[in-house]
Amino acid sequence: MKVALIGSGGIGAVHAQMATNCGLTIAACGDTIEEKANALAQRFGTEATTDCEALIQRDDIDIVAVATPTPTHAHYVIKAAQAGKAIFCEKPFCRTLEQCEAALEAVETAGVKLFIAHVVRYFHEFEALKAQIEAGQVGKPGFVKCYRGGIYPMGENGWFRDYAQSGGVTLDSSVHDFDWVRYVFGDPERVYCQALQRPEPLDYALTTFRMKSGIIAHVIGTWAHPTGFRVKVEVCGDNGMVTFDSNEAPLEVMKRATEGSGPSMIVPGSPVAVSPYQREWEDFIAWLRKERPPRVTPEDGAWSLRMALGALESAASGEPVTF
Amino acid sequence: MVRIGIMSFAHMHAYGYAASLGQTGEATLAAVYDDDVNRGQEAAQQFNAPFEADIDAFLASDLDAVIITSENIKHRSMAEKAAAAGKWILCEKPLATTVEDAAAIVEACRAADVGLGTAFPCRFASPLAVLRHQVAAGEFGAIYAASCTNNGQFPGGWFGDRDLAGGGATMDHTVHVADLLRWMLDREFTKVYCENGHLHGRDTELDDVGCLHLEMEGGIIVSHIASWNRAKSYPTWGDVTIEFIGEKGVAFVDAFNQKINVYNDSAMRGAWAGWGDNPDLGLVQEFVDSVRDRRAPSVTGVDGLKATEVTVAAYESMASGKTITL
Repeated sequence: MKVALIGSGGIGAVHAQMATNCGLTIAACGDTIEEKANALAQRFGTEATTDCEALIQRDDIDIVAVATPTPTHAHYVIKAAQAGKAIFCEKPFCRTLEQCEAALEAVETAGVKLFIAHVVRYFHEFEALKAQIEAGQVGKPGFVKCYRGGIYPMGENGWFRDYAQSGGVTLDSSVHDFDWVRYVFGDPERVYCQALQRPEPLDYALTTFRMKSGIIAHVIGTWAHPTGFRVKVEVCGDNGMVTFDSNEAPLEVMKRATEGSGPSMIVPGSPVAVSPYQREWEDFIAWLRKERPPRVTPEDGAWSLRMALGALESAASGEPVTF
Repeated sequence: MVRIGIMSFAHMHAYGYAASLGQTGEATLAAVYDDDVNRGQEAAQQFNAPFEADIDAFLASDLDAVIITSENIKHRSMAEKAAAAGKWILCEKPLATTVEDAAAIVEACRAADVGLGTAFPCRFASPLAVLRHQVAAGEFGAIYAASCTNNGQFPGGWFGDRDLAGGGATMDHTVHVADLLRWMLDREFTKVYCENGHLHGRDTELDDVGCLHLEMEGGIIVSHIASWNRAKSYPTWGDVTIEFIGEKGVAFVDAFNQKINVYNDSAMRGAWAGWGDNPDLGLVQEFVDSVRDRRAPSVTGVDGLKATEVTVAAYESMASGKTITL
């Protein structure tokens, strides 16, 4: 199967590699910025194009992978659906609910397969947490807390730094945890959120969901740290707890920045044989081969978007938002 | 020697305070009163102090001050009596379970011209004190946000009884951090939202976890988890943590993470043994100083009242589903 990559930035490069690892062929790397398309195409020994819409239409393309900035996801998903292609779309699904509804309608009308890349569902540690919870290790869960983040990312032309485009840490990063919380604990009833969204930029989002089950889920997202990246999870129940902290890692590497004992940065590493990003591609491909339904449905992508946009609405109004 | 009496050993912190009194070298546990005679007599024996079963006789004695460590709901009546008897008072947190009761305690002490302190020992935990100093020195610039926890194991007993505790985990574990934030940031709280409930099957009808969203003057955003959600098998009683997000940097403090890991086969679970400074001793020493100098304790009754306002607003928010403006 051949993949058209739409968006040849950071996450686009990851998806190109993972698709290649899975035996797919990258037919072309598309990007509206020529240098980016060229650079990635050269790396994968394939074509480059700035005409993404024409690329989507090509007969030899089976899969369109959308890895553009969030506000343009819906546009390319709709074009790909109309062209009858299977679609792999980076999270968050869209920037607005209107875009999301239009994209879902186009996919349904065309009868094509759409996968939203909520990769956290495929992270080994999150699978292990879910397995422990389902095995009854915490008893009946009552409270979950997720923490995720580090430095504020840049993105092409700093698009992450434009809240109107990225939605800040809430929509772009905490959405991982929103999806996982719903995946494990069911649909939310309401949300309350405080989001910093400072102009520097510097973002920190404190979000609480009351799930329909009564469970309280608190999600902390930071793009306010000067360095590093950290994930923490805690699930408490009536018979125990499970916790995870990415700082407790098997590898600790310290690079000397200068000769002798100069300043250094500690980089914790947690290697696994198969990356979670590859595992989500494998799941998507198994669906295309009609082997099994994927772990993430288009409705899951829509729900995590609703959760994030509900959080942002609450942050703006100062009151809870009911779903 | 400053002569101090303890009113009730219902709250387990009483034992820490009693032990600390002796360590100050300047104070003595001069009498114990308890409405539970057996508990009071046992504690009195443990700390070599006389027991007095009659509250009026206890207060009529030559005590300089009292430490009130009763069930939450009894703080007001004990404090009013002690104030009327002219005793300096250190009252266990929460100062009261309602704003009305907390204000009454403050007023009673003001009217009687006695010093009133609220027992917030975290102010005497060195990691928190150091961080406060760094914040005050401007090392982080303006503070924009904080996320906090005061998690614990379920204490059981009267803590789970609405008529004695006045509320569950939200009542028990909001005030420490509310006070720390006021103290460290020198700002008051302006808004409170809360989700809480009985979600961990603890042996009580009360909430065993509270998730609070707070706002402070200047728009500082804060979340706080007040819980009894630590498992019985957890290696320690709980925690007090705060992450600050500031203009020039961030800080994370885990106040009691000065520990050694202990693996003892008789216990069949790992445990943490703390080695940090004893905050109870700092609190009690400062109180003894205030009694000796006939001045107000540094952590005042008003501090207790302000923290209680946050807790009460949290329950109001949960009941109404709305953000409460203070």
